[in-house]
Amino acid sequence: MLRVIAAATVLLGGACGPADGPYPSREIKLIVQASPGGTSDTVSRVMAGLAEEDLGAPIVCENKPGASGALAFSYVARRPADGYTIGHAPVEIAVVRSLGYADIGPSDVSLICMVSKTAPALVVRADSPWKTFEEFVAGARREPGRIVMANSGIGSIWHFNVLLLEQGSGARFTHLPYAGSSGALVSLIGGHSDAAVAGVGEVVAHVQSGSLRPLAVFDAGRSGVFPDVPTTHELGYEIGAPAWSGFFGPAGLPEQAVAKLASAFKRAFQTPEWEKLCAERGMEALYLDHEQFERFALEQQKFFGDAIPKLVRLGAG
Amino acid sequence: MGAELLAGLTAVLDWEVLGFLTAGVTLGAIFGALPGLTATMGVAVLTPLTFWVSAEQGLAMLLGIYCGAIPAGGIPAILINVPGTPASIATSWDGYALARQGRAGLALGINALLSAVGQLTSILFLALLAFPIAGFALKFGPAEYFGLALFGISLMAGISKGRVLKGLLAGTLGLALALVGLDPMTAYPRYTFGMSEFLDGISFVPVMIGLFGLAEVFVQISERHSIRELPVKALGRILPRRDEWKKMLPSMLSGAGLGTIVGAIPASGGDIGSVIAWEQARRISPDKEEFGKGSLRGLAASCAACNGAIGGAMTTMLTLGIPGDAVSAILIGALLIHGIQPGPLLFQNNRAFVFSIVFLLVFASLLIMLIGLVGARPLAGILRIPSPWLWAGIVLFGTVGAYALNNAVVDIWVMFAAGIAGFFFRKAQIPLGSLVLGLILGPMMEANLRRALIIGRGDWSGIPTRPIVLFFLIAAVLLPVLPWIRSKLFKRGE
Repeated sequence: MLRVIAAATVLLGGACGPADGPYPSREIKLIVQASPGGTSDTVSRVMAGLAEEDLGAPIVCENKPGASGALAFSYVARRPADGYTIGHAPVEIAVVRSLGYADIGPSDVSLICMVSKTAPALVVRADSPWKTFEEFVAGARREPGRIVMANSGIGSIWHFNVLLLEQGSGARFTHLPYAGSSGALVSLIGGHSDAAVAGVGEVVAHVQSGSLRPLAVFDAGRSGVFPDVPTTHELGYEIGAPAWSGFFGPAGLPEQAVAKLASAFKRAFQTPEWEKLCAERGMEALYLDHEQFERFALEQQKFFGDAIPKLVRLGAG
Repeated sequence: MGAELLAGLTAVLDWEVLGFLTAGVTLGAIFGALPGLTATMGVAVLTPLTFWVSAEQGLAMLLGIYCGAIPAGGIPAILINVPGTPASIATSWDGYALARQGRAGLALGINALLSAVGQLTSILFLALLAFPIAGFALKFGPAEYFGLALFGISLMAGISKGRVLKGLLAGTLGLALALVGLDPMTAYPRYTFGMSEFLDGISFVPVMIGLFGLAEVFVQISERHSIRELPVKALGRILPRRDEWKKMLPSMLSGAGLGTIVGAIPASGGDIGSVIAWEQARRISPDKEEFGKGSLRGLAASCAACNGAIGGAMTTMLTLGIPGDAVSAILIGALLIHGIQPGPLLFQNNRAFVFSIVFLLVFASLLIMLIGLVGARPLAGILRIPSPWLWAGIVLFGTVGAYALNNAVVDIWVMFAAGIAGFFFRKAQIPLGSLVLGLILGPMMEANLRRALIIGRGDWSGIPTRPIVLFFLIAAVLLPVLPWIRSKLFKRGE
């Protein structure tokens, strides 16, 4: 309720024409593409709380979930480019166009900065016969489709990583889709599937409690959470599509606003609170400024644009 | 053990912790009482605030919101026939009927008391049987979920209040609406008409607000000349009498038990649990015809099950580190921030904290009882609002609630469409409960049947041979026809 009233006030205030004087002079709305409680929401709310002070204006988060984030991306892109409506940019912003959910991508918005990255991990139950990644892949090659691989939904970022693994290793799995990682991991722990790929932060709790065993992290460098688990790159497979978190605004955001927001988020990024959150959620704190983020996101857009049609064919066949 | 019990209690018996708990229960009551604002939303929005306080204080606040929101959802269900949260749909069936009979006070009293008693019972289950219950919940694979959903859908006939054919019709419509959105297995868009707003399906909460809230307003407006006075005027007494307690005891116990078990199963909570509990209470009651017309037993079962589901969800969360429902998923995240890892290790390494949580849940039960009983009289002020104002208020709050869920305008249209449809359904005496049941259970049934078939490589013969599935299938077939068989047998005996 209060949020709605606050939002209405902002809208009315916004109708008075472009704000004079230094930016920001009033409340900034941060649109989160996911439901309250998840990683995107936590990242956005914590970042907003830490950046507010430096910015000198409150940042209010508003959740607009749906269609892998496509609804929120399109909504932000249609707002006036005045820096008072920005959005959380997860990896999905580089994916939704290729999935056909909305005609929007990183090239259609102003990217501000990136703050974190999460690598995927391949996990099996702790009592599973597979002790290493090599044994697992060999098993999946020997008996194609015998291993049931739970995933967080067709078209989700962790599902792509399973498809990349199939493509890179020649292994074949039976895919068991769930609505989100939580369902997939519960099914794995309960013995209803044999393996799963999910974010490092999503599996770490179950690894520590002794129910799951990580076989590999899909990344070039080792994960801070699992320093003893080999990476796919070490094992000779150059695969891995991480999830990431950044912020964006409508196309044509004034340079002054981008710089101001990026510097506030950078300050927030350097606080111990952020470092603590990243460590606990299994995220890698990684700051990319406006230009680096733009380069990275466009690369990602191209990667998914090329990969998805191929992977979809592979999945169908 | 004794020392840990004491340590857990001392950590909670701190005026700051109890203050956070009280604030949480009060905030939760506000979230729960406003349709469209759910317990999940309340906990999620306030989670970041708890990063800056101790683990006990933060958890006290979040658990308070969780426990306070569920019974508060029953308040609008009783007073204006609009369930405040999905869990209180079954509460509205008997609660609103009681209110119309001038016994709103008693309904509110039972809601407060039995929600608390249901929660205490489920905590008792948690304390005694945590690990067996959690182990049972983990056995639920795709086939078992399919069985549970099928069993839930078989209740449609029972909750149709005698109009079985119309009930099945509405239920089928609910199942059909559940098909909208991305196919759960292939992510292919179904019946979205090219609108990305419908890719995630039709949101359940706006449909619920429309079907129950808006439709109720439309019905009252259409009948305003035939009604001599306002439907709900008097509050009446609040506390149940001794003989009423006695009457409610069996359905309360079965409600709390069923609520705990359904709550413990991941991805199913009070919404499904309370409907199942209500229907089971009806089956074992001598006065079946009373159900839906103001039965104290029916109200007792659904209230006890709603909060019983909390104990169940907490069981799965604490013992396995697996969320039993949406709220406990967020609670796990909040605990991790404080460096506490729910799961089997917590019981070995930090048993005092487990006891703290149990005590917090106990104190929260007492608080919801207190706040519910004290709040009943002021809340009844709603009843003195002139009808046109009340109708306008329901439409206003319903619209805000439908929008606030996802901040999506399309949900407002869904709510109005459901309201108009609901009006005609009410006029045609088509029971709405079955439609809701179809909408809730449809996705669960479909996705899990298909998952079970993927695991079985297209062979269905492995599904009904699993013991839990077999139990549900037999129950689904047998329970609806049992009264019919019994009546045949009795006739023969005469």
